[in-house]
Amino acid sequence: MAKAWNVPGLRGDAKFRDAAGRVIVTRWREMMSFRDGTLAGEDIEELHAMRVSSRRLRAAMDAFAGAFPERSFRTHIRVVKEITDTLGAARDLDVAVEGLEAVAIEFAAHERTGIEALTAEYRRRRLDEATQIAALFTRLDDEDYSRRFERWVSRHTGVDPLQLHTATPGDL
Amino acid sequence: MAKPRPITGLDPDRRLRPNARRIIAVRIDEVWAFAPFVTHPGNVRELHDMRIACKRLRYLLEIFEIAFSDDLGPHIDQIKDLQDLLGEIHDRDVQVPMLHDHLERLAERDAATARELVRQAGPAGRMSQTRREVAFERFRAQLDAAGTVAEQPGIEALLARRTRERDELYDRFLVEWHRLTTERFRRRLERALGL
Repeated sequence: MAKAWNVPGLRGDAKFRDAAGRVIVTRWREMMSFRDGTLAGEDIEELHAMRVSSRRLRAAMDAFAGAFPERSFRTHIRVVKEITDTLGAARDLDVAVEGLEAVAIEFAAHERTGIEALTAEYRRRRLDEATQIAALFTRLDDEDYSRRFERWVSRHTGVDPLQLHTATPGDL
Repeated sequence: MAKPRPITGLDPDRRLRPNARRIIAVRIDEVWAFAPFVTHPGNVRELHDMRIACKRLRYLLEIFEIAFSDDLGPHIDQIKDLQDLLGEIHDRDVQVPMLHDHLERLAERDAATARELVRQAGPAGRMSQTRREVAFERFRAQLDAAGTVAEQPGIEALLARRTRERDELYDRFLVEWHRLTTERFRRRLERALGL
């Protein structure tokens, strides 16, 4: 599983509001860093990492909710939840397919017919999920959502996203 | 899925640590709130919700550990192990119903194929024993050719395997949960956080 990104400038004696801005923007960027890999669909770990990051982001948003106005907070956490849920259905199928492929060889030949047919069906359903995921990200792009999200965090925490130089663990 | 409980009494303009303590105390409560339910293997929803509660707690400890002087790493690892085990159980709890559904769909497809073959054959009328046997063999061959009959043994074998794995994982979880309780893990975590 992908490691959580370090949060730039986060100190133990930080103000809660400042920490909220740094953590949430970092987790948002961490999650979105897996967007292209998820859409490409060549490595199931990309989608898995994106989903895990979305959960980390939600956990952080729930914890820091007190730093934001209730109404706009609800709007934004709903979007993040939509991302987690949309990726969830695809992840369940990825896990199922991976599990079937891992064990198929251990079954008798007459049993493998059914397992192979089931694998093929899950793969077909997974393609449908890929369409849903692509539609969601197209919509977020059309709404310029990433920029709006970071500006919303900045407005309520005072953290300037342009000054927050996040980096993947590999870049450190 | 159980929603996270709202946290009251936070002051965003104070330092991180006192606020983090309040938040983490609530998230610890959320994990242990499932304790009375998880000793029954059929409580699928509670086991899943406990896993989510573990995730929330773990991610917060990762975020807030910078604000505490004690090393929270071993506690985080412990929660992650529990979360992983619950995740393995959840994977089976997702897959087993999917396999049941699939078997049902195969049975429905077979029934529809059989009905269609009977309709195509038309009324049997008066037939000798030999002709009846030949017609039945043809019917069976056509039904087999439709494919789903051949798929069922594999799905049933897989279902049995996933069910067995789920039982084994749940037994492991119970042992682990008992160990954490005996070793007073919650109390040690709370002490490390100054709660």
